[in-house]
Amino acid sequence: MRRFAAFFDQREPATPLALYRILVGMSVISAIGSVVWAGLVPVIWHEIADGGMRKLVQGNPVIDALGGPTPQVVWGLVWASLLGGLAMVLGVGGRFSVLVTALAFRAVTSLNNHTGGSYDLLIANALFLCFLAPSTATLSLDCKLRTGAWTDDTPRPSWVRWLIVYQIVLVYWTTGLQKVSSHWVPGGDFSALYYILQQPSWHRFDMRWVSSFFLFTQIGTAVSWFWEVFAPLWGLSAYYAATAEREGKLRAWFNRMHVREVYLVLGVIFHLVIHALMNVGPFSMISLAFYPAFYGHDELTAAWSRLRSKG
Amino acid sequence: MTTSRSDLGPWAWARAAFIAFHLTAITLMALPAPGGGMSRTAWKTPTVQAEFRAWTGRVNAMGMDYTPAEFEDTLWDLASGLMKARSKVLAPFGTYYRYTGTAQSWRMFVAPHRFPARLEFRIEENGKWRTIYATRSPDFRWHAEHFDHDRMRSAVFRYAWPHYAAHYNRFSEYYGRMALREFPEATAFESRFFAYRTLSPEEAASGMDPDGNYGSSRVIRR
Repeated sequence: MRRFAAFFDQREPATPLALYRILVGMSVISAIGSVVWAGLVPVIWHEIADGGMRKLVQGNPVIDALGGPTPQVVWGLVWASLLGGLAMVLGVGGRFSVLVTALAFRAVTSLNNHTGGSYDLLIANALFLCFLAPSTATLSLDCKLRTGAWTDDTPRPSWVRWLIVYQIVLVYWTTGLQKVSSHWVPGGDFSALYYILQQPSWHRFDMRWVSSFFLFTQIGTAVSWFWEVFAPLWGLSAYYAATAEREGKLRAWFNRMHVREVYLVLGVIFHLVIHALMNVGPFSMISLAFYPAFYGHDELTAAWSRLRSKG
Repeated sequence: MTTSRSDLGPWAWARAAFIAFHLTAITLMALPAPGGGMSRTAWKTPTVQAEFRAWTGRVNAMGMDYTPAEFEDTLWDLASGLMKARSKVLAPFGTYYRYTGTAQSWRMFVAPHRFPARLEFRIEENGKWRTIYATRSPDFRWHAEHFDHDRMRSAVFRYAWPHYAAHYNRFSEYYGRMALREFPEATAFESRFFAYRTLSPEEAASGMDPDGNYGSSRVIRR
């Protein structure tokens, strides 16, 4: 237990947490802003008497406290989510902005349980973790106002970074375990991706042309299934990279083989392909928001320096 | 630039206890469970029945002796037991999930839907029916900005399942009234689904069109 407590007692500059905050804020803006843009707010989040398409789900404490889901309350929550998301991107208002965003976002998306996706749940989880983290300590307006600079390398508690890593690994791992269709699992024909792309519910355009690339969809099915089911290895690889100074053959092998980077690259490809071919809302964006947490401040700043020197 | 302190104060221990609690709570809820898939009506749809047949074949190949119906009943009993046990295990964490927003449910694309359905809206004008919207159609685009949005895709996907029939009725009524307002000449509106089997790679490559049936017709008259 001492080792456990000591591991989470570490500090480092909050750069990974700041990048996470920015991407989570963008995901909130996308998840709510797109509804406003499509003119769907009254359709899906208003009561029938106010022009909505179905009876809304009751019981959200914020909405109850505000007097119920009247159009004024709903629009207030929509704007609070959008402004809160913007404040998170800019890094202003610290935890208060995150709290307001979380309360408003969860309240408004709770109103209609037919029009949500897993991304609502993932954003809600992400906002909670953001609230726990000192995420506006750097790369933020708060930092600029406090220190006069956009960045601040003062070490801050970094334990939330590991909760972020754990959360996204848990998402991938358990979604992989539940892909039990005979089209997904080894021993079958690995045709799941091909057939999912044929579903009109999610694809962006007619996908019959994919039949010419069936083999690639089979490879994609197999890779994504194994990638998800063995996602805990990604979490382990991040831990091994962060504790590289310790001994152990497995740790050394993971670091030498760049298991963490292999997982990251596959994850990015996986989400970009999903985003290009399917409309599943901001699911890819909110998933990718978790990725900076796999790297420490030193690694991220070194990568940024390398990128700038090449540019 | 990671730094750590050698002495652990009370805050470090309290934080460790919270982290252990949080990780336990989210892991238990995220573990596989059928959740909203516990619907016997949904289990009777062609997509799910095809999965039962495929898995019965696999299980029997390992030396078991099930018919697809027996296999389905066994799974239903197992899943029901799992859901009851899960409810008990998760009960102590209920307040935590509710107030922190840390509920977990990651059942995403567990299986391809081999028998999906395309939504269509038609209106009757001067005794003739005319299509005004069809899912992902480039030609029939009435309020497509609604139905192309991922949130509405999620709703329409649900409404094609039989256990959402009551919600589908309300949805049809909603868009029916809207269409009758926006098309003053229309005397009736129809919402229906075209259900079909998705084409295999060979069928798609041959240029074949999906073969299916119209159903779930709901007509709203002026």
